[in-house]
Amino acid sequence: MALVLERRPEAGKWALLLSPLLAVVLTLVSSLVIFWMLGQDPLRALQVYFLLPVSDAWGLQEVMVKATPLVLIATGLALCFRSNNWNIGAEGQFLIGAICGGGVAVWTHGWGGPWVLPLMLAAGALGGMAYALIPAVLKVKLRVNEILVSLMLVYVADLLLDWLVRGPWRDPFGFNMPQTVTFAPEATLPLLFQGGRMNLGSVIALVVVVAAAVVMARTLKGFEIRLVGQAPRAARFAGFSDARLTLTVFAVSGALAGLAGVLEAAGTVRQLLPGFSVGYGFTAIIVAFLGRLNPVGCLIAGIFIAITFIGGENAQIVLRLPRDMTLVFQGMLLFYILACDTLILYRVRRRVPGVGAQA
Amino acid sequence: MIHRRTLMTGAAALAASTALPRHALAADPMKVGIVLIGPVGDFGWSTMHDRGRRRMEEVLGDAVETTQVEAVAPPDFDRVVTQLVRADCKLIFTTSFSYFQPTIRMAEQFPDVMFENATGTSTLPNMAIYNARFYEGRYVQGVIAAMKSKTKQIGYVAAFPVPEVIHAINTVMRGAWSVDPEMRIRVVWANAWFNPGVEADAARALIDQGCDVLCQHTDSPAPLQLAQERGIYGFGQASDMTQFAPNSHLTSSINNWGDYYASRAQAMIDGTWAPEDTWGGLDSGMFELAPFTNMTPEETATAENVVAGLRSGEIDPFAGPIVNQAGEQVIAEGESLDDDAIRSMNYFYQGIDVSMPG
Repeated sequence: MALVLERRPEAGKWALLLSPLLAVVLTLVSSLVIFWMLGQDPLRALQVYFLLPVSDAWGLQEVMVKATPLVLIATGLALCFRSNNWNIGAEGQFLIGAICGGGVAVWTHGWGGPWVLPLMLAAGALGGMAYALIPAVLKVKLRVNEILVSLMLVYVADLLLDWLVRGPWRDPFGFNMPQTVTFAPEATLPLLFQGGRMNLGSVIALVVVVAAAVVMARTLKGFEIRLVGQAPRAARFAGFSDARLTLTVFAVSGALAGLAGVLEAAGTVRQLLPGFSVGYGFTAIIVAFLGRLNPVGCLIAGIFIAITFIGGENAQIVLRLPRDMTLVFQGMLLFYILACDTLILYRVRRRVPGVGAQA
Repeated sequence: MIHRRTLMTGAAALAASTALPRHALAADPMKVGIVLIGPVGDFGWSTMHDRGRRRMEEVLGDAVETTQVEAVAPPDFDRVVTQLVRADCKLIFTTSFSYFQPTIRMAEQFPDVMFENATGTSTLPNMAIYNARFYEGRYVQGVIAAMKSKTKQIGYVAAFPVPEVIHAINTVMRGAWSVDPEMRIRVVWANAWFNPGVEADAARALIDQGCDVLCQHTDSPAPLQLAQERGIYGFGQASDMTQFAPNSHLTSSINNWGDYYASRAQAMIDGTWAPEDTWGGLDSGMFELAPFTNMTPEETATAENVVAGLRSGEIDPFAGPIVNQAGEQVIAEGESLDDDAIRSMNYFYQGIDVSMPG
């Protein structure tokens, strides 16, 4: 006896929206139980986790700082995933973006001008794009699995960064620590408000989300992306080229991840060092799915995940809960969203031996 | 599976936590924050700082309230410290050299909060530094390694080529040469303070190259465990790691931050806190050596003599003459390096065939 999944014909648009909301609710309920078993007041724990981070202007700014790379990367990934292109290596493209943009900052350190920042952003986006095109070209030309290539390239990028900051780009006055110089003011993003760390990057992320939403909803390209994802055969009949689309969405998502990398380097961290990324490229995959592969959804999901990160730190400070709680929380969220998706959009049927599965 | 007993305990704890008023005391406790570079459960560096924090609470009772954030990556440091300040922490310990420059930055930003950076190298009006003279333990390790090694090769799993690690490597060799001038050392840079997988890989590479005693300057028990697995000797780091390698473990440095933390918090309460530069040796109690294991009585006696010599100052690990790899004399016979020279050490001694990475 085997179980088979079968798409529910009646599952409509509402189900797609219901699924992440249900997942969030289930995650909250499960974490209430966990908080309670840890001996915490569950409601206070929830308050510390989810309300404290957004309870004042400073907290809101920090949430945006944390959400910016997640939202940018997830928006690009949403385009990819929508069209059945599985770019799992956004983390690598993020790092390459930071390396290319940060390289400009290191190179111009001491003699740069106002042109440095735009150059950095361009270099970061182009670097991420070029890096993402490697798996895309291999997929299109040689039918190489893009999941494996993009994932493995993450480690290449990680080691490249490691080598650069230990060797050629090391800060000569950094006590031998593997890190670059702290970027000069002209190589850092301007802050938006006094007393916080929110910078121009968050504005750029919002602009990108709006642009992506318009492209997806209102343009032929957006239609093509959706069509290829939902009905590849129909898309081919309509004259859309699989290969060209694969290259396009990889290029866009790579560029956005690269842009996120250089924004993080120029805005928040202001230098390159190993451990530069705290896994934004991977967390963004959760964000993209939580956001229903929709740009505006990614924005909301990115902010939500950012709150859980900062809430996790609050929980350590205020409630003395271990950091692992945050990781458990994010794991549960992804688990529930996949489970909800599966059970809402599909139904489980028992396959009777001898009768073939329905096509 | 949830047992009823677990649920009951949870319920009891919940009842207790809600029944107690939040601040039962008249005087509000002083809040102390701690930022850890690794997870609390690294069994090494961060675990010992956590233990120090608990000890501080034990000593000072309700006068302090401590809170900590673990595994804080340097890019997240500014936010975490700001959160601690906003949670009303008046004294913040940042427990890694990786936080040294960021701590300076935050100390300048929050002049009313006192900071203390472990293993840092300079102070500010509101920033103290503290460290222990772990190199004394390294010297003992060198002596023991030279007695134990048959291949005359010590393997050293190092984190970053910062002065703290460089002078430790130099001191291990100094100790080893005091027994056998033919001793040699190999170093692999893990580029992490805590990364069990990478640390184990580094240990594996060193053993494959013929090292038969492992020193580690990273925080997890992984290198020592590998030593056990491969049947060679090793030293623990930061806490007594005997349990991880009962047949391989020789000794460990055990870090005791608790009394220091308690005295600093007490100074804050008394209003006598000053940006001091504390660097305690074996005699200060800031660290001690775990009981020697897997050593013969003669070896133990030799090691204990060396410990006594270091305590009394009879053995000076930084006495001249010191010649660096380039063959230049750093300091002449009869002189000794001062503290600033030790903690800015950026060269290996002559005879150490190790190059700076990068």
